[in-house]
Amino acid sequence: MSELKTPATGLTVGGRDLGRRRGRSGSSARLATMWTLIGPALLVYLGTVVASQIGGPVAVQGAYALVSLVAAVGLQIFTGTSGVLSFGHIAFTAVGAWAYGLLTIDPTLKKALLPDLFSFLADVHAPWPVALAVATTVGGFLAFAVAPFLMRLNGLQAGIATFGLLMVVGQVLTYWSSIGPRSGQAMVGVPADLPLERLVLVAIGVIIVSWVYQHARTARLLRATREDLTAAPGSGINVTIHRVIAFTISGAVCGLGGGLWAATNRVVQSSHFGVGMTFTIIAILVLGGTRSLWGAVLGTLVWSALDSLLVYLQGGVTLGDYVVSIPEGARPIILGATLIVALMVRPDGLTGGRELTWPVQRWRRRG
Amino acid sequence: MHFGQSLIDALSLGALYALVALGIGLVFGVMRLANFAHGEIITGAAYALIFTWHLGPVVSVFVSLLVGVVLAILMELLVFRRLRTTTPATLLIASFGLSFLLQRVYEALFGTNVRTAPVASGLAGTVTVLGLRLQILSLVTIALTAVLLLAVHYFLTRTNLGLQVRAASTDFRTARLLGVRADRVIMLTFGISGGLAAVVAFVMTVQTGAVGPTFGVPLTVLALVGAVIGGIDRVIGSLVGGFLMGFASSFFSSWLPEGIVRFRDAFVFLLVILVLLVKPAGLLAGSGTVERT
Repeated sequence: MSELKTPATGLTVGGRDLGRRRGRSGSSARLATMWTLIGPALLVYLGTVVASQIGGPVAVQGAYALVSLVAAVGLQIFTGTSGVLSFGHIAFTAVGAWAYGLLTIDPTLKKALLPDLFSFLADVHAPWPVALAVATTVGGFLAFAVAPFLMRLNGLQAGIATFGLLMVVGQVLTYWSSIGPRSGQAMVGVPADLPLERLVLVAIGVIIVSWVYQHARTARLLRATREDLTAAPGSGINVTIHRVIAFTISGAVCGLGGGLWAATNRVVQSSHFGVGMTFTIIAILVLGGTRSLWGAVLGTLVWSALDSLLVYLQGGVTLGDYVVSIPEGARPIILGATLIVALMVRPDGLTGGRELTWPVQRWRRRG
Repeated sequence: MHFGQSLIDALSLGALYALVALGIGLVFGVMRLANFAHGEIITGAAYALIFTWHLGPVVSVFVSLLVGVVLAILMELLVFRRLRTTTPATLLIASFGLSFLLQRVYEALFGTNVRTAPVASGLAGTVTVLGLRLQILSLVTIALTAVLLLAVHYFLTRTNLGLQVRAASTDFRTARLLGVRADRVIMLTFGISGGLAAVVAFVMTVQTGAVGPTFGVPLTVLALVGAVIGGIDRVIGSLVGGFLMGFASSFFSSWLPEGIVRFRDAFVFLLVILVLLVKPAGLLAGSGTVERT
């Protein structure tokens, strides 16, 4: 409940009260607060610059990492703030990707590929910013529509019900040929409108949205319900409403992630949005630390770096007289083992669920 | 299709799902773990059947049972024992990760394509009883389930170890204080759950004759969901929930109209979400809480 006791700033960093720190030195506290936004954004930007400088496959992996980042930040907005598990967020990503694909594929090509489409979907065409906005809206709307039902559940039941949502949406997208390709086939020909430099701007935008949300009153109240589901409603907090708000925002961000995914992958197929992608996003959050934005960012960075390293090793690396390589199937096995080991060794993630702290202040205090 | 036939089919699929849900529910009782990776125990046992069937049915079934039990116990020793003090949500994520990991291991070992063998192909035929053409396998499944349920019931209610399992399920901490050995009881429960998974693997392998890396997944997902809507904190709840799940999907498959039958699982899951809204703790929930106290 420490969150509720800080009316001055309402901010906590890893459970520590920022209000008290402000009393000591106002400007450095403000800096520390801004640093929780600037630090992650800067890291994402620098990481993208490095990836694009290296180029080739690393730049491609960097693009996918940015897409994963958006989806992970989206899931973190809900799961991190509310403490409720969701296996269903990839459903929002899926509808976002669907919306983006349907809006950007050239109508002539679309009519040939997807003959059963509703006629208004067959004719519609939009530039990428509009398509991204629609993907975001569709994801957010679906989340808002199912939230009143799902948000009453906790723990295991929430996990199962959100998993059910993923299954339902997956099956509808696979088989309903009026809104997509026939049974499980792919939508191809999504134009490559989002190169790395645009992706990174969208990703930083999402980080800003998440940061602003984390500092809003509704997020503070929701964190209180996460810490104590009995006391918070007793203090007059309506759990369901604040969960619905978080779920809707997080669904919208995941929908946006779906749009980015469609533009990056350029082929959209319902089988992409299943248990595998859910696994990746959850693993990223667990690795980094579910409870902070910094956790989502650091988790994506470490996970993507590990993944890229494994891809690199698969190709074989020459070290002096030896060629080091790992067999074909080893990459997903190592990734899977990483999640389990992370849960055992650091259940709160690499960041321990804390936001990034401003490094300079620590040095000053020592001196 | 004749109504009696589809009734027997639904009963047998319900029985099969009930066995899966029973294995999941027993472990949940003592561990508060809803084990996604139960399906990978089924897959492992099914691979064992396929690869050893040429050695004769007795050897093959024995090896398969052994694989199921050992896999389940290894999961407990290597992974879940170290996570015992965490929340059910964390355990669920861990088992989700373990399920993904084991599928990739199977892929690396046995390839992504299915492996085939004519396992107990004699059971795949049909018999005519009272004018109904019934699959022998359906009848065998129902009989097998009945026997196993009686055995598990006898074990839980009439033996000392079974009493310890029940005590640990009801109140783990008090049971430990009263001298129940936690590690032994949990390991035993995982072993039983592994054995049940091997039986399920046998029935499924006879039915399909082909095993791939994700062989056990669809069955486990539906049975796990069934266990939760039945009330996973009681064995009877998991059992009934699992049965209903299998029964409902079999009936939907037989009787939904042609154009809609592809959306069968969507209907099943919508039903599940509705049930969870009305009774979040499950249809037959006990008085205890789902979180371990």
